[in-house]
Amino acid sequence: MSLVWPLLLSCALFGIGLYGVLARRNAILMLIGVELMLNAVNLNLVAFDAWWGDALRSGQSLTLFMIAVAAAEIGLGLAIVLGLFRATGSADVDLAVVDTDEQADGAR
Amino acid sequence: MLAMSDYLASYASVAVILIVGVLLAAGMLGANRLLRPQQPTAAKLLTYESGVDPVGQGWAQSNVRYLVYVYLYVIFAVDAVFLFPWAVVFVAIGWAAVVEMAVFVGFIAVGLVYAWRTGVLRWT
Amino acid sequence: MTALTGAVLAQNALSAADLPQIGAPAIEYGTLSPVLAITATALIGVLVEAGAPRRARFGLQSAVAIVGILAALAATVWVSIHDLGKVSFEGTDLLARGKTVAEGALVVDGPTVFLWGLLLVFALVSMLMFAERGLEGGLSGFTGQAAVAPGGAGEREATMAGIEHTEIFPLAMFALLGMMVFPASNDLLTMFVALEVLSLPLYLLCGLARRRRLLSQEAAVKYFLLGAFSSAFFLYGIALVYGYSGSFTLAAIDTAVSNQIAGQNLLLAGMALISVGLLFKVSAVPFQAWTPDVYQGAPTAVTAFMAAGTKVAAFGALLRVFFVGFGGAQWDWRPLMMIVAVLTMVVGAVVLIRQTDVKRMLAYSAIAHSGFILTAFAGAYEGSAGTATITSVSAVMFYLAVYGFSTIGAFAIATLVRDGGGEVGHLARWAGLGRESPVLAGVFALFMLSFAGIPLTAGFMGKWTVFSAAWSGYAWPLVVAGVLTSAVAAYFYVRVIVLMFFADPEGDGPTVAVPSVMTSAVIAVTAAVTIVLGIVPGPVLDLAQNAGTFVR
Repeated sequence: MSLVWPLLLSCALFGIGLYGVLARRNAILMLIGVELMLNAVNLNLVAFDAWWGDALRSGQSLTLFMIAVAAAEIGLGLAIVLGLFRATGSADVDLAVVDTDEQADGAR
Repeated sequence: MLAMSDYLASYASVAVILIVGVLLAAGMLGANRLLRPQQPTAAKLLTYESGVDPVGQGWAQSNVRYLVYVYLYVIFAVDAVFLFPWAVVFVAIGWAAVVEMAVFVGFIAVGLVYAWRTGVLRWT
Repeated sequence: MTALTGAVLAQNALSAADLPQIGAPAIEYGTLSPVLAITATALIGVLVEAGAPRRARFGLQSAVAIVGILAALAATVWVSIHDLGKVSFEGTDLLARGKTVAEGALVVDGPTVFLWGLLLVFALVSMLMFAERGLEGGLSGFTGQAAVAPGGAGEREATMAGIEHTEIFPLAMFALLGMMVFPASNDLLTMFVALEVLSLPLYLLCGLARRRRLLSQEAAVKYFLLGAFSSAFFLYGIALVYGYSGSFTLAAIDTAVSNQIAGQNLLLAGMALISVGLLFKVSAVPFQAWTPDVYQGAPTAVTAFMAAGTKVAAFGALLRVFFVGFGGAQWDWRPLMMIVAVLTMVVGAVVLIRQTDVKRMLAYSAIAHSGFILTAFAGAYEGSAGTATITSVSAVMFYLAVYGFSTIGAFAIATLVRDGGGEVGHLARWAGLGRESPVLAGVFALFMLSFAGIPLTAGFMGKWTVFSAAWSGYAWPLVVAGVLTSAVAAYFYVRVIVLMFFADPEGDGPTVAVPSVMTSAVIAVTAAVTIVLGIVPGPVLDLAQNAGTFVR
């Protein structure tokens, strides 16, 4: 298989993810876009790793690390978005947040 | 160095297993369908949901509590990723590898202790 | 692309016999002791959280964090004495000291140790601000229960019961761990992991403010989404550079770049994408959009920690990647970085003038200062043996020291100017602060003068060093742009001083809360450093200059 095919696929995935982040206004869908971008990188790394015939398999190692870190990132991201959702009832990132000092007073 | 055809041939067994798997499942379910009596009742047509009566539509939101469990599961599933490359080399390295992996697993265990003590693992 | 189409993936597939023998890695535990100390501190923090009774937790956690940082500082001093032997490497006779450790994953050299020292000191003063409980009636400035909705009954109950999130200390320690590894990483894999360890706890900490929680949570969401977005670019860049050079190690990338082993397209695209991730972290234009919102929304103690710490870590990493890894391609990246530097200075200074909120003002000030630091970076002056002219690396490190102290001090003062609803954000409400509390206003004025770069403050020495390094690197247009934008920004800083001392207060005017000894100590220390570095910068400047260049 030619190296160019996985690279093209990875480019396409990255582009779709990029479009998702830029076009969607829902935080969860934006997160999915970011995940797509990360997976595009994974594909790229594995392809380059196979192409170089890297004896240390460093490309695949980074892929493993990325899988772990991406899982942590998503977990944290969901928690943050969930916090905002509980407070505002929406996960829309364009929502204008009104947070007056009076409200903070009431919280006291 | 492998030739291109050998490289693809090494995946042939994967394809064979896939085909055998599909045929096996289809054969078993098909034979079942041919042999069994068919007497549908309302209760039998309900979606199977772990023995509990299904409630609401298929698009119902799941409880947010599941998030924590899913997340804990993902942590362990993902950390297992690091065990596989370790398993390849640990015989060559010996006890040092065991100790280092114990340190790694210990770090995760600290996180689990925290989750347990803050009451995340209790259902109510 | 034709070269790629011809490339066949399976050609280089290895059989098991080709795999290298992998032995047990050698880890230099002594040299890594500062990093290990912070790791241990963070883990102990998690265990304290799990085991200690709720009443004792806050005090215990702050004590653990502070003791851990002090231990790491002591270890850093020890490392600087024992492990910084002079080394020489091929092709240059520049001063370099230190060595690579942990099988080449990290490098502990002069700049690394200097930045470690800075990060630990900044973290120490920030932890004092984290631990401040005198301003909210015996509670910290962090939300009591992040899981309950703002302004609801659950929040009131948590406040009444005195429940606090003490996880903030271990989280900050994990972030500090990432910050320390980030500029010390010798390969892109370690750098990526460090970047995430640095970022993830900060995303969370940003959303934990006690007052104005919606703003704080919104800041966390914004920071997280944009941060994850930028790290995806960073990773794509890493993948492309890996494709170009076949390795993650900076030295191997340098060899590949210097020998121009393949078409330059992969390398150029990879460098551009990596710089996106790093420039986002230092909030350089055009990746600065998150800065004002996040700085404003985050709890002020976190903002101080983040403003000083992230900047130190990210500039350290930026310099290491581009000077060591892409040093051979500097004629490709320097022009672009010069444009970014000028844009950052201009946008920072011009938008600064329009600001009306104290924390947003400090955020735009942070952007402008990133621009000043970038001038030294784009100058890329590595020095020449035998002359004492200040190098880009030393200039950046000195500026980071100067800026970090001033900005932590300024944020610490911002926590003290309050009214019934918490901190007073609007600058107009700061009018007349000079009459209410001349000392506090005087110290804030000192920080403003330092930001503006007035002689006899640390800011002046910082600007002088970065501009001098840029000048030595023949980047004189940057120096001109830097001086002009400094003048524009100075106008604003002076206006703030005039407002505090000579304007009539609006209504009752703000009150100045009486802090505990912690915040007072922070303000005293940062103010003292700002004055001392302005009058006798020699010792610290020598330290930065003696750290030498990067070990590769």
